[in-house]
Order: sequence, then structure tokens, then C-alpha cells
Amino acid sequence: MPTRKVRRLNAKLLMPSPSTTMDKYKGQQVSGSLGDTIAFLDGILGINEDFTVRKFNVFGQFPAAIMFFSCMVNQDSVNSDIMKALMYTPPHLIGRSIETNQLSDVIMNDSLYHSKSSLQGELTALVECILRGDTVIAVDGMKESIIITTRSVEKRSIEQPATEQVIRGPREGFIEPLGTNISLIRYRLQSPDLRIQTMEIGRRTKSKVAVCYMDGITNPALVEEVHNRLSKIDIDTVLDSGYLEQFIEDNHYSPFPQVQYTERPDKVVANLAEGRVSILVDGSPLALVVPTVFNQFYQTVEDYTERFLLMSSIRFARLIALVFSLVFPSLYVSIISYNPELIPTDFAVAVAGGRAGVPFPAVIEVIIIEISMEVLREATIRLPQQVGGALSIVGVLVVGQAAVAAGFASPITVVIIALTTIGSFATPAYNAALALRLLRFPLIILAGTFGLYGVMIGLILIANHLLSLKSFGVPYLSPLIPVDFQGLKDLLIRGPLWLMNKRPAFLDPVEETRVSESKFDELKKTSKNVLDPLNDKSE
Amino acid sequence: MLTTRMWIKIIRTLCAIMLAVPFLTGCWDRLEIEERAVVLGVSIDKVNMETAEKEEDEISHLRGTIPTPEKGMVRVAVQIALPGRIPLGPGESGGGGGGSVGKTVWVIDVVGHSLDDAIMNLQQQVSSKLFFGHLRVIVISEAVARNGLENINDYFRRNSEVRRMAWMMVAKGQARKLMLAAPPLERVPTLYLMSTLDEGIRMGKFPKDYIGIFWSNVSKKGQEGFLPYVEIKKEENVEIKGLAYFVGDQMVGVTKPLEIAGYLGIKGINPAGYRVFVQLSNPEQTIMTTATHRRSKIKVQIKDGIPHFTIDMGIELNVEGKLSDEIQINNPEVLRMIEEKQTEDAVKSYYKLIKDSQEKGSDYFGFGEIVRAKKPHYWNKRIKTAEEWGKMYRNCTFDIKVTLKVRRIGMKGV
Amino acid sequence: METRQITVIQAAAVLVSTIIGVGVLALPLFAVRAADSGGPLVTFMAMLLAFVGLSLVTWLGMRFPNETIIHYSERIIGKWLAWIGSLFIIIFFAVLTSLTAREFGEVVVTSVLKSTPVEVTVIVMLLLAAISTRHGITTFAHIHTFYFPFLLVPALVIAALSLKNAEVINLLPIWGNEPGGMLKGTLTIAALFQGAFVLTAVIPSMKHPGKAMKASFWGMLVAGGLYVIIVAATISVFGSEEIKKLLWPTLELAKATSLPANILERMDAAFLAVWVTAVFTTLFSSYFFTIYSMSHLFRLKEHKLFSYFILPFVFVMAMVPQNIIQMYEIIENVGRIGLIITIAYPGLLLIVSILRKKRGNPVADNKNVDQNH
Repeated sequence: MPTRKVRRLNAKLLMPSPSTTMDKYKGQQVSGSLGDTIAFLDGILGINEDFTVRKFNVFGQFPAAIMFFSCMVNQDSVNSDIMKALMYTPPHLIGRSIETNQLSDVIMNDSLYHSKSSLQGELTALVECILRGDTVIAVDGMKESIIITTRSVEKRSIEQPATEQVIRGPREGFIEPLGTNISLIRYRLQSPDLRIQTMEIGRRTKSKVAVCYMDGITNPALVEEVHNRLSKIDIDTVLDSGYLEQFIEDNHYSPFPQVQYTERPDKVVANLAEGRVSILVDGSPLALVVPTVFNQFYQTVEDYTERFLLMSSIRFARLIALVFSLVFPSLYVSIISYNPELIPTDFAVAVAGGRAGVPFPAVIEVIIIEISMEVLREATIRLPQQVGGALSIVGVLVVGQAAVAAGFASPITVVIIALTTIGSFATPAYNAALALRLLRFPLIILAGTFGLYGVMIGLILIANHLLSLKSFGVPYLSPLIPVDFQGLKDLLIRGPLWLMNKRPAFLDPVEETRVSESKFDELKKTSKNVLDPLNDKSE
Repeated sequence: MLTTRMWIKIIRTLCAIMLAVPFLTGCWDRLEIEERAVVLGVSIDKVNMETAEKEEDEISHLRGTIPTPEKGMVRVAVQIALPGRIPLGPGESGGGGGGSVGKTVWVIDVVGHSLDDAIMNLQQQVSSKLFFGHLRVIVISEAVARNGLENINDYFRRNSEVRRMAWMMVAKGQARKLMLAAPPLERVPTLYLMSTLDEGIRMGKFPKDYIGIFWSNVSKKGQEGFLPYVEIKKEENVEIKGLAYFVGDQMVGVTKPLEIAGYLGIKGINPAGYRVFVQLSNPEQTIMTTATHRRSKIKVQIKDGIPHFTIDMGIELNVEGKLSDEIQINNPEVLRMIEEKQTEDAVKSYYKLIKDSQEKGSDYFGFGEIVRAKKPHYWNKRIKTAEEWGKMYRNCTFDIKVTLKVRRIGMKGV
Repeated sequence: METRQITVIQAAAVLVSTIIGVGVLALPLFAVRAADSGGPLVTFMAMLLAFVGLSLVTWLGMRFPNETIIHYSERIIGKWLAWIGSLFIIIFFAVLTSLTAREFGEVVVTSVLKSTPVEVTVIVMLLLAAISTRHGITTFAHIHTFYFPFLLVPALVIAALSLKNAEVINLLPIWGNEPGGMLKGTLTIAALFQGAFVLTAVIPSMKHPGKAMKASFWGMLVAGGLYVIIVAATISVFGSEEIKKLLWPTLELAKATSLPANILERMDAAFLAVWVTAVFTTLFSSYFFTIYSMSHLFRLKEHKLFSYFILPFVFVMAMVPQNIIQMYEIIENVGRIGLIITIAYPGLLLIVSILRKKRGNPVADNKNVDQNH
């Protein structure tokens, strides 16, 4: 079996390529005449300034031309590995006469110093290769042209992931080129079972999409389904993995994300090892992970690197923040407008005092402040970092203080909204936090209509929706519902690593065990206090 | 291109929205906290019929259509919190600065045929809706209490806003004075009243007797209710004067403050907190002790068709102080003497307390409940109703055993 | 077609959350009316009676592990008789749905949303149930399992916090001073358990239908245990005589309890809010059962069709009682009739099926089974 090899997948395009210029020449073969080939390629690509055609003679006798986009290839490699190799006749060939029909074998086997090269006879394919950044060598008399992968596109260096920072854990994040990203995954997972299959999606962008999974862990049916869904995507541009997400998710109208994205290679590896499938897109630093369940949105990589007691309590704090960001304002509204008898008398009287001058009912007040908070947050994200900090200070401190002083909002409302906003920032997954933030508004309106009763109705609707939601057939609230006692160890708390010895059952992995329990027992039994003073015999 | 399916979908969504809109515009019950007249306390007094008739407006009924009730008309005063005056947070004093502490509440009063009627009259005079969710204290004048509380209990029980953890108390003299009082310890005067009793429970000076517990006791067949009996003092402070005990819902008598300790002792309620003087042989040899722990066990036997109760009590004491140095607390003998002397006094006072209640026919201790629970055959055959028990209670016999133990004498050795 | 996915735990959770609902609010009143301080005993006896009924249903369901009662009744007593029986079941559950919605609507309007029309609170609850019934029976079981803790925890918290004010003497004598109404009370309270009949629809989708008896035992034990605890807690706090004066003693219990440190000074509104979930699950079950049975009766593949269709009928039925006292009278009477439908009818079916030696095809575990045919 060819392991560790990028296998090309036959993704069928549903619609033919939309390029009208290319369609005309569909199926035309290289004629063998160098002039025709140059004329053809020059006719299609020649209008571009960076399209380079360089004529030369192979081994000094066969007229040939090398063609590429000068800004997409590695010029050094083209000069020294290709041009030089082809222009000089290799020493062992000197004196031998080479027939034209042997030429391709000779070039490929004896002279070209480049590992990634192939032969291609179709003209339109040549165009596609040049567009991709490959170099095409056409030799007069040869029915096939040589394609050499020389692509070299400028890329930024590998940096810390901006949206998923950790204190303890790897610092690398994905960058845009797919190749680099795959290398980041592969060096963490040096296993022959890691399978990476690629396909092209996007009628115009022809973006390379890689599907990664672990053979022998991931359920084959899941891989099949991912392929199936991906291959049915018909869109002309794929600029980010987010484009794919919106096609392969199960429920398109749900506010909740059913696909997780991450820019951390270690997270992808962890998910692959659990039995999930990851999808990477060339040009996007964010990998997708499917299937996704709700608990992934409040868990971070760091949960597993630090000791379990500490991280369990931090996970609790995150959960509380999550709940805060959803229900806090609506609870406030319903208590203030409907059930003030619930809070202590002194506080109730004080709250009434704080609200005494406010002209709006609590619902309107909360909604106004919430909306201005959303505006402020959006503004802070869009502005350059230097200005953003200043804006948030102006927004939060000055406007908030002034709104209270002007009698526009009560101080407690400001406190509530501030807590809510901070709560929503504590949720690690941005898209999940966004969903909860959005759902807050209907809840506030329900609270303003029916009080606590309305809030409960809203929460029940949300919960029922979550319960009916599925990601690739996995119930969204697994492992809570349906209950999986193994999975509960990694739900609200993060159990010790040696106890979580099974992969999540809801993923139905081929192989279930990931930690050997008996070995751990052995580790505990055989550990010795070698430096214990009692053992010190030197006295 | 819209297919029929999509049209159906769109129309369905529209229908759903149309259905939802009326709900959202509803907000039938929304009433902001500052728009409510938060009633913190209510007082109920009896009024003179003639003046009341004149004062009452024709709000819930026309004059003369409804005869005045036999029990007379009532004057109801309510204490409403003034939202703007009570500052948020501890530091800043709101409104007019330090001098105006007294005006955090607004006390208004009306008259009416019944409590409902009076509240109705009151609502006519107050713009915001009266809100009873934070009603903490209900003060009833002794005159009203002796007339009976059916109407008052009925009103507060029926109203879903009223909490079962509120206090109901009987005031000596005019109840309205307690509403007007503004003790400086709390920002909100009724909260002071409330904390007087709540702290009383914590210090072992008063049993738990929220309005809910009072109602339960009144309802029980073998028990009568009791309420705190309070009096307002010179500095607008409040003294717990004793227990006002009831037969049915009519108040029949009051105990003395020290007798509350008796009640607590018989019921064995902890923590204990009362202090008493014990005079050993002459007035100079007087010791003061404080109870720290009480326990009590009540047993019932039927003797000659009449319940006989054996009350076995144990109280632990600390010595708190002495009047003079004439007595040295330095040997077990003295402590034993104190124990003996105080036991003697205590037994006497317990007998008296029970005797008093028997005379009035008010079993506010709940001895009847013990009979009902432990001797159901006897109860079902002989008693069955609250009235019967009231009669039987007068004849019950008691046997009280008290064991006192002095445990500690404080930091001083002698 | 869905596969058989429902586990024993899920089936038990369905039972518990179906049984526990709005009935809990008035339950201590029924218990005390029957035998004052003997209330917990009455509740316990009602639980036993209900368990006998449920085990009949379960036994029957285990004999026909592939079919719902609508289908196997036809095989047992013939098409036409069974049709009448099924029709009664469906109508009964529709009525039960409407009464549950109305009862809770009344509670909400009396205690929290005083000026909101009762129609609105009723229709909101019904809509909530109707929307949720549009999913399959697996989601139905998932929803019940999810809400299971939301039902147990508040009830247990209220009961635990009330221990502070509890007096054991109120619970004595345990058989009550006037045990005359015990039998009637047992029937009244047993009627509160009849939502458990929904198990007939769950068994055909259970992974291991053979373990249905286990599920019904645990379901009944938890639900009945909770009932007994609540009755005992209420009586021990208030005393039986006081409860007779209260319409919803459990709610009053919440009112008399405060969280430690006064976080919430009184819990009635909060309890009622949390209790919305309990009422929702009950309503959801009976609503789902109604439309699910209808779809089986008419041999339809989807029950979704009916979910909005029966809404107006249920709503109109909910509006029939004129006042709250009449409503409770109707509830008691309907409950009695329900005992015949949910205990006597399946009992009859069971006897006939044993006599005629009819039984369904046994099911291999974990196999995909077409439930409708």
C-alpha cells in the first residue's frame, strides 16, 4: 500500500469549467510542433506580463521552450536544476545519438535534476499547470510536454495562533499554504496511518482541499461521507475553509456551528487521533474538524496539557461564563420587570432607586445597551490594534459612565451588560460565542414579554433545537445526550488522561482504546522513591 | 424561481410570525420595579366607627349599602419605599444629604370595612400599583387581634405576592406608630423591625414564628397560634414584650418576656439565650446565668381518659455574673447549689406558664398535636376537632422535670 | 425509519419526566384530603397501583416488541374493537394534553402573570410542545433524558431546604387520623401516573425491548419516590390541616423556602420557572403520544402532519373548564376514566393475548427494524 503519499482523489466536477477560452480547446493534444505549442500557450496566457517563454536547445540539438509565470516559480531552481541540466549534455550521454522518440525517457531518467516532474499531453492541462505555478517544457517533436513543480509563493512565517492562545502548549499556528500546514500536521503524527487525500474544489479558484484522517481509527463510513459531501460542492470560488463549512454542515439554518475550525496543528492532530476527520484548504490558515459536538466549543488544547484538577475547575468557570453570556440579561430583565420579590428587600429597594430616573422599561434599556455594546465590539475588532485599545476605553468607561450620569441607563444594567460581554469573551470558540450572543436577544424579548416564564420557554426552545441537531449523524450534545459514561469524564470536568482510556464512543472509531490501563497501573506500582532519604545507605 | 414548496414555506413562516407578534406586543404584566409602590410594612388598627364612616370614601361600595361589620372598621397604614431616597451602594447618601435619613419611606393610612376594602381605598389614593412582594412586617394592634384575624389571614393567604416568611406581630397600643417609627440603625424602618425578630431567633430569644408558621399553627387541630407581642419605646426602638397567644384566630392573652424563655424551654428550641437571676440564700448572693443549650422531651399518656404529659427538660447554663463578692464560685458545691435553686425556680415558672395557657384554653405549645400523632385512637374517639381539644386542654395534667447543668463560669476563676 | 436506539436509561427518563409535571403542585392537597397525615402512605399506595398498571402495559409491550399498542391491539381483539379502543386512547391523551396545559396556565396566571390572559399561557405551552413533536422518537427520548435532571434537582432542593422547617410530628400517625378517603385518594393520585402509558410507544424503539420492565421499574421508583418525598416534605412543613387550605401546596412550599444566605429570598417564582421544563416534558409526551398514535392508527409514515393539525382542537378543549374549581373536578373525573383506559384496557388485552396465545416476533438486538409494519 502506498502509505505516506498524497493520493489524488477523483473529484468529479458537476459542471464543466466555466472558462470560455479553455472550453474551445478541450481535448486537444500536443501536436509535437514546438511552434504550435508556444503559439497556443502564448495565445491564452501571453497577455499576462509575467508569462515567460524562453527558447533553448536541449543537449544543444533539440529546440525546446520553457514556459512559466515568473513570479510564481522558484527562479533559482528553474535556472540551475532545469535549464542547466537540459542544456548540458550529461557526460554519460556524450556521443550517443538520441532519437526524438527516446527523448522524453532520456530527459526524465537521465538528465532532469528535479524530483517532481511528469509528462502531460493535453494542451488545456498545460495551461492549468502553468496557472498553478508549474513550469512547462515543450520540446520540438515530443508529443508530450514535461511539467515540473517549481511553485514558490511568498508566505508568512509560522506564528502563534492569534485566536487560540495558550499558556502551556505548542505555539505554532497554521499559515496559508497547504503544503506547510500538512507538514505541520505530519511531523506531529508520524504514523503510516495518517492519510491525506486531496481534491480540487472551486470552478475558478481550483482550490486544493486536503482531507486528513487516521486509517484504523476513523470510521471509514465517516470518511466516505465527508468525501461525498465535499465532492458535491459546486461553487466558483473557495477562498477560505469557511466556504466549505457552509456546504457540508447538516443544518444550515441553525445558529450553532456544526463544524469546528482551528488554526492549531496540535488540535487537529488531537482530533484526528480521536477519530475525527480534518479538512484543510489551500490558502486558509483554518482547518475544519468534523464531526463536531457542542462540548468542543468550551474546551481548549490547554485543558489537556495542565493537570486535571486545575483545568477541570477552569472548565467550570468557562461553562459559567457561557451560561452568563446567554441568560444574564434576560434574567435581569425578568426580575426587574416581573418578579422583584425574588431579590433581597434592601437590594430591591436600592435597585428601584437606581432605576428611578431611567425613562425606558428595563427591556428597552437592556436592548439598547446590548446593541451599543455589540457595535462597540465590532468597532474594536475592525480598527487597527493601536486605536482599538483607545476606543474600548472611551466606549466602556466614558460612554458607560456618562450614560449612567445622564440617567439614560441604570448603573446595575451597565454592570449586567459588562458581565455578559466579558462572559461571552471567555468562550474559546468565536463562532459558538457568536451564536450565544445572537440568541441572547430573543431571550431578552421573551423576558420582557413573559418574565421568567418567557426565559424558560426560550431556553427550552434552544435546548430542544440543540437536542435535535446533528453533526454528521452525531447528536450535538453527545456525550451528555445520549449518555455515554466514558464520555462524561471529558464533559464538564476533564478527567485524568489515564482514566480517559477510550476514544469518544459517539465517533464510533475502529479502534477504541487509546490509553492502556494496565500499563498505567504498572507504572504506579513500579515507581520507586529512589532519592528518599530512607534509602540513603551512605551513612 | 419559486416553487410551490417554497411558497408554502414562506407562507408558513409568515403565519408563524403573525401568530407570534401579538404575544410579543403583549407585555401584560410588565411593571418595572420603580413603577411599583413597594409595600414594606402594613399596620392594622381599630377605628372609631363614627369618624371612620365619615372618612371613608365611596370606592368599593356606596355609603350605606353595606352594613359596617360587627367587628368594627379598620385603619390600615402602609409603609411604601421611596425609590429615589434609598441610595444604591454603601457610601453615598442619596438625596438631601445626611439629615434626611428619616424620609426613606412614605407612610399613608386609610380606613375601610375590612382589610381588602381598606387596601382598595388606598390604591385609589396611590398612583403606582401596590406591590406586596416585599411585605416583611404586618403589625396588628392588640384590639384588632382580640377581635379576630379571619379577614386579615384570609387576605394575606389569598394574595400570591405575600411571602410566608413575613412577620406578623401584635402591637401594644396603636400599631400605626410602628410604621411611623424610624430607628436610625437601618435605612429602611421595617427592616429594623424585622431584624429585631430575626436576630431574636439567632440569639435564642424568640422562636421562629413567621406568618406561614403562625398560619400552620392556627390551622392545626391540636395547636393554637401565637404571635410576637411588641411595644414601641421612647427612642423609636422596639421591645419584644412577650407572646400574644390565640384561640382560633382570636387573641386571648399575653405572656411576659421571660416566659418566652419558658416556651422555648418547653419546646426545646436552640440556640438558648435567656439570662436569669438566681438568688441563692440572700439578695446579696444573686447570680446571673445564661442558658446555652436546651433539650426537651414530651411524652403523653392517657390517664383516666385525660391526657397526661411528662415534660423532661434539660438546660445547660453558664454563669454570667454575680452581684457581690459574698459568694465565691470556686467549688462544685456552689454550682450544684445554683443548679438546684434555679431548677426550683424554673419548674415553678413552667407550671405557671402552662397553667395560664390552660386557663385561657390556648394550647400554643402544640400538646394536642402530640396526642394526635402519638395516640391517634384516643384522638379519633374522643377529640377529633380543634374545639374539643380546646376544652380537653383545660383538664390536662402535667409533670415537669428539669435538669439544669452549669457548665462554664467564664474567664474569671472565682 | 429510525433504528432502535432508546436505551433502558432513556426509557426510564421518559417515564419519570412524563409522570412528573404540573400534578406535583396540587399533589399534597389530594394526598391530604384522602388521609391527612397519612398522605405519604396514600401516595406510596398510588405508586404501587400505578406500577401494577404499568407492568401490565410493559408485559404486553414485551410480548409484541415490534409494535405499538395501536397495532397489536388489532391482532389481539380484532380490527374494529381495537379501533374503538385506540380511538379512546388517542382522545384521552388529547384531553390529558389540554388539561395539563390548562392547569399550568391557571397556575401561572394565578401566581405570576396575573394580567396575562390564560389563553396566551396555554397556547404558548401547547405551541412549545407542538414545535418539539416534529422530530422522531429518538429525539423524543433524548429530550426527555436531557430534562431529567432539571426536574429532579429543583424538587429535591426544595424538599431538602424545607427540612429546616420540618416537624416530624406532622407526619404522625403515618396512616392518618381519618383514613376513610384512602381508597379514593389512591385512585386520584394513581391517575397522576398515567402518563407512563407512553411507554407503549417507546418499547418498539428500544434497543433491548426485553429490558422494558427494568425501565418501568426504575421510572416508577424515581417518579413515585419523588412524589412521596414531596408529599412528606410538604406535610412535615405545613401540617395536614394547613395544606387543606392551600390550592398548590408545593408552590407554597417553594414560597416558604429561601436559599441559604438569601441569594433568592423566596423561590416560588423561580421554582415555577424551572417547573416549566417539567410541565413541558409532560405535555410533550402526551402530545407526542397523541399524534404518534394517530399516525399509527391511520397507517401513516410521518406523525409530523398532525403536530399542528390537532393544536386547535387541544386548545379549544383546554378552554372548556369555566373556572379553576370546575377544572379540578374535570381533572379528577378524567383521571378516573384514564385509569380504565391505561390499566383496565391493557389488562384485558393481556389476558386475551395470553388466552389466544398471540405474541409478536421476537427482536434481535440492535437490528434495524421497521417499526411501522
